[in-house]
Amino acid sequence: MHIPDGLLDPITTISLWVIIVVILILAYFRLKKSFQDEHSDKIVPYIGVLAAVIFAFQFVNYPIPGGTSGHLVGGTLVAVILGPWASVTVLFLILVVQSFFGDGGITALGANAFNMGIIGGMVGFYIVIGLVRILGKTSMRKEYRVTVATAIGSYIAILLAASVCGVELGLAGAIPMEIAISTMVFWHIFIGIGEAVISGLIIFYIYKVKPDLIITESYLGVKQ
Amino acid sequence: MKLNLKKHRVLTSLLLIIVILLVMIAIGYPLGILSENPDGLERVLIDHNGESWLENLASFWVPFLSWIENNYIAAIVGILLSTAIIFAVFKLVSYRKNSRE
Repeated sequence: MHIPDGLLDPITTISLWVIIVVILILAYFRLKKSFQDEHSDKIVPYIGVLAAVIFAFQFVNYPIPGGTSGHLVGGTLVAVILGPWASVTVLFLILVVQSFFGDGGITALGANAFNMGIIGGMVGFYIVIGLVRILGKTSMRKEYRVTVATAIGSYIAILLAASVCGVELGLAGAIPMEIAISTMVFWHIFIGIGEAVISGLIIFYIYKVKPDLIITESYLGVKQ
Repeated sequence: MKLNLKKHRVLTSLLLIIVILLVMIAIGYPLGILSENPDGLERVLIDHNGESWLENLASFWVPFLSWIENNYIAAIVGILLSTAIIFAVFKLVSYRKNSRE
């Protein structure tokens, strides 16, 4: 879903850059607040290594029937572990590094960070919160609730990000809007399955070995 | 010095995941387990406008690491770069918070 340079029109490009810069400034202040806890410094190495995992996963392109491939985006996954503000920051920085390789454009960085960081990460996170609350009415244990919610939430977030990307392509005039949205959603119906499975498995694993690493438990409403 | 792997289980398992992913990248593409096919966005653009249209999009800069064509090398360089940048940014946030106190 990495938009290359030269595809988007200037107005869309600049607007999305402005949005992402504002969000990153807000994220900076929010992150400082979330680092109030004296143990928070200890999670910095985890954030670095988690980013490396996301970066490595984004290189693993699994085949999709129909001559396409997909890879993990990881926005919702990082948001569930570290919170939505850290997620958008991590995704933005990963996209910066990827643009050095030509995977996604430098002018399109605002759009890519908007799609994968804000829609994939922040919006995905609030979908997960909603799903955790719905699943809270069942007798499922909290690790299963968060795992299932993360898998479904990341799947929905990928479809939403693909739709927004379709809108951006339509606004840029690269493809007629209705074709762009429908085809982007169509391919991501399959690509999103990988996102859901990988995100769910990683959350489940972390819950099994070090649940305190998921610092969003109070937001998710599962902290005991 | 004895390294307590149990204490750092998540960190070591995340590092292990990275190693496994690197092995997958190294052997997955030549074996055909992983795919070099275009991703969802590229597929949509190619289907509608053709492959040459996508390749000829104008960009004002040349990504300075785009000369690395090997996926495996690119993944290693990218992992090191992204870890270093993200570690530095979050360490800075943490440092700024501590210096204010």
